[in-house]
Amino acid sequence: MTTVTQAVDRALGWVLVALMSIAVLNVLWQVFTRFVLADPSRFTDELARYLLIWIGLLGASYAVGGHMHLAIDLLPSRLTGRRRFYLSVLIEASVFLVALSVLVIGGVRLVTLTLTLGQTSAALHVPLGYVYVALPLSGLLMMFFSVGAVGRHYAELHGSTEPAVKSPELH
Amino acid sequence: MEWVDILLLGGSLVVLLALGVPVAFAIGISTVLTMLLSIKTGPALTTMAQRIATGLDSFTLLAIPFFILAGQLMNRGGIARRLIDFAKALVGGLPGGLAHVNILAAMLFAAISGSSVATASAVGSIMGPRMEEDGYERSFGAAVNITAATTGLIIPPSNILIVFSLASGGVSITALFLAGYLPGILVGLSLMLVAAVLATQRKYPVGRRTSGREVVKRFLAALPSLLMLVVVMGGIVSGVFTATEAAAVAVLYALVLALIYKEITLDDLPQILLSTSATTAVVLLLVGTSIGMSWILAYENIPQNVSLALVGLTESKILILLIINAILLAVGVFMDITPAVLIFTPVFSPIMAQLGVDPTHFGIIMVLNLCIGLCTPPVGTVLFVGVGVAQTSITRVVRPLLPLYIAMIAALMIVTYVPGLSLWLPRLFGAQ
Amino acid sequence: GTADDVTVVKLAHGLDPTHPVHRAMQFLAERVREESGRTMRIDIYPSEQLGTERQALELLQIGSLGMTKVSAAVLENFAAPFKVLSLPYIFRDETHKWAVLEGAIGREMLDMAAQFRLRGLCFYDAGSRSFYTKDRPIVTPQDLEGLKIRTQESATATRMVTLLGGSATPIAWGELYTALQQGVVDGAENNPPSFHLSRHYEVARYYSLNEHTGVPDVLLVSTVVWDDLTEQERQWLQHAADESAQYQKLLWQEATTEALRMVQADGVQVIRPDKAPFVDMLAPMYETYRNEPAVYSLIERIRAAAPVTGDQR
Ligand code: NA
Ligand code: NA
Repeated sequence: MTTVTQAVDRALGWVLVALMSIAVLNVLWQVFTRFVLADPSRFTDELARYLLIWIGLLGASYAVGGHMHLAIDLLPSRLTGRRRFYLSVLIEASVFLVALSVLVIGGVRLVTLTLTLGQTSAALHVPLGYVYVALPLSGLLMMFFSVGAVGRHYAELHGSTEPAVKSPELH
Repeated sequence: MEWVDILLLGGSLVVLLALGVPVAFAIGISTVLTMLLSIKTGPALTTMAQRIATGLDSFTLLAIPFFILAGQLMNRGGIARRLIDFAKALVGGLPGGLAHVNILAAMLFAAISGSSVATASAVGSIMGPRMEEDGYERSFGAAVNITAATTGLIIPPSNILIVFSLASGGVSITALFLAGYLPGILVGLSLMLVAAVLATQRKYPVGRRTSGREVVKRFLAALPSLLMLVVVMGGIVSGVFTATEAAAVAVLYALVLALIYKEITLDDLPQILLSTSATTAVVLLLVGTSIGMSWILAYENIPQNVSLALVGLTESKILILLIINAILLAVGVFMDITPAVLIFTPVFSPIMAQLGVDPTHFGIIMVLNLCIGLCTPPVGTVLFVGVGVAQTSITRVVRPLLPLYIAMIAALMIVTYVPGLSLWLPRLFGAQ
Repeated sequence: GTADDVTVVKLAHGLDPTHPVHRAMQFLAERVREESGRTMRIDIYPSEQLGTERQALELLQIGSLGMTKVSAAVLENFAAPFKVLSLPYIFRDETHKWAVLEGAIGREMLDMAAQFRLRGLCFYDAGSRSFYTKDRPIVTPQDLEGLKIRTQESATATRMVTLLGGSATPIAWGELYTALQQGVVDGAENNPPSFHLSRHYEVARYYSLNEHTGVPDVLLVSTVVWDDLTEQERQWLQHAADESAQYQKLLWQEATTEALRMVQADGVQVIRPDKAPFVDMLAPMYETYRNEPAVYSLIERIRAAAPVTGDQR
């Protein structure tokens, strides 16, 4: 289980590194084509926007894995033992619920809708459905990471020394 | 009828947040629950998914990760340290020297970064340990850093002023940026005043005074970093770059500078890019779900009804501005600045126009106001980041924050009732 | 009170409340309220409160929003025949345009959207687009030679400017003022009210009313929502929409006259060039649709429709 989580985590990390690098280069290319080539690129604006959707959503699932989402930790930090475990399960269940209902179910419905209606983007002519695939994909990853987190919390409850929370690193 | 929506939305949000559910997910659940009151399940879930995705579908928003990335590079690349050294040479000799250094360094960093989060983490991570070594309480250092970092959103470039420009239907970004300088400096000075009083009371150490030669030396060391301000703001004000392009150029500039300073190598880049993506994504998911929430609020006419009821109380411009400030302060306590700006700008803008308040001025009032909210629990991004880098807790940092809130509110009142403070620079540069 | 007995349809759009389209929608809402004896209500959300034009369209398809207004150009992404409306000089003049849009062809096009979960209710006037330039007036197509012209992100618009010898440059509408000011582009094109409201006339002092395209707006209702209405409610809505369309045309004409008066008062040179050379140079655009029978037959039907006395070409 742990090795699978690590592998997914690492792959996701490298995807994010790639997306962010492309995003920066893309906008620099926009500046370059306008000032140096005096022939503004037509695709950079749209590519930038779609990259941001992917970075935001995949990054958000990565952040679920790393427990990086902002939360008010007053109650969890005051509980210990079994109670803390139950609250952790409740919190992970909330993440799981949003990921499943909004990102996976809502996302799949949105992808299907835009694909069946054949909506394509203005500049790159990509089907918009492909852009929205980031939603269910991110949702599935969030579900995966939240289940993994419950597993770690359970192990912690039963005396594992491995920390339930990890920091973002490329292994 | 709308009261059911308000109760369900507000009530579920408070419960989920109190339980410790991550804010973005709590907003997601509360929003979907409220949607279900008037929209069928399938369309409601699809709408929420669409709101999240299209909320991120913005070229302008991309400025945010870029400014964060530039901030990370500047932080690791020794830029923050050089700015701090320069600030120390200037104000380190005052009572509560390091508190002033933190505030001034935050303002200098603010002037090259578009985000208060970047400012809080870049300056706080260096200043926190230094202040603690000098005998400052950790929570006091964190409180000073958190409030000073909000100048990152008032002194341009500023991500949130970009969001305001979008939400207001096109108030000039250049005018807003120029309008932020003086109010930002005013906030900094107000914080310094309070810090000086507190430092004297608590007998915090006074640093040594710096010689003129030392000041010049520090200035020259900080100059390449300060030149970034010229590239970014000069580029935007002259209209050469959009804010996002300026942010991308800032990334390149910071990277080159960091490589020259040999504080990072190309091998460090993947880690920096990853941590930027994750940090940004946390903000972006919040933006996405908040945009969903503001959508259901607008759909149920909630902001309009609430604000109309309140503004129906009086016709006095002074009082209405006071009421709006009070509403925004209350909103800021519970809501992050980005969704608050997105939700309330369209609500209050018509009232402001009716009262003859310049939209650029209103942008500064709103952002400065919500900046206070960024430093308050339960929802305060800068508070979270500031507490995080200082490795302290929200509970501990609230007490030293109280006098600093008062300083910020005083600055807010001056900015609200003296329009010239915001509008003088934009008018000078003809950006209005 | 009796709120639960009222059928509410939510209508969102991206325009300002002072815009003729918004005022026509208020008229529509008022007509629905009166005709239904207050049993049906249209709630209007202006200024992109519920999303941009494209997002609102998607919300209609999702079924969480009732109605919206989009440019007919947006619908070409769904139904290819809508491309026809973006073709330069597809209409000979205003009379021809409304004869087509309010006749059988128009109704057919409005119904065409049904397979995309959208139902067209009526067309609103969005005027005619014309070129405005910084350094020299456009009197003949040759004047466009070598000029960088900001165009919308559409293949048709790009092709049109290219055929006229200009260089099509995509720039966001919000950034266009600065782009004109700094000479990033030499000109742009839009209808008179937009030329005026965007204050582009402050930097582009020549406005040539060559009126190349006249893409209308379309008022749409979600079929998900439409299917939930009673037959009576549908009639009220359709009838009010038709009435609002007539009212909107009057408002638009007023806005156009007023905009032209204002820019001229400011010293902008308004030119009324001979359209024939523009029509001729753009003729090849029609030929490319020969291999798209659905589109091409529609072009031919529009051209044959309601011949107007006195040849404008
Ligand atoms: Na800033
Ligand atoms: Na707050």
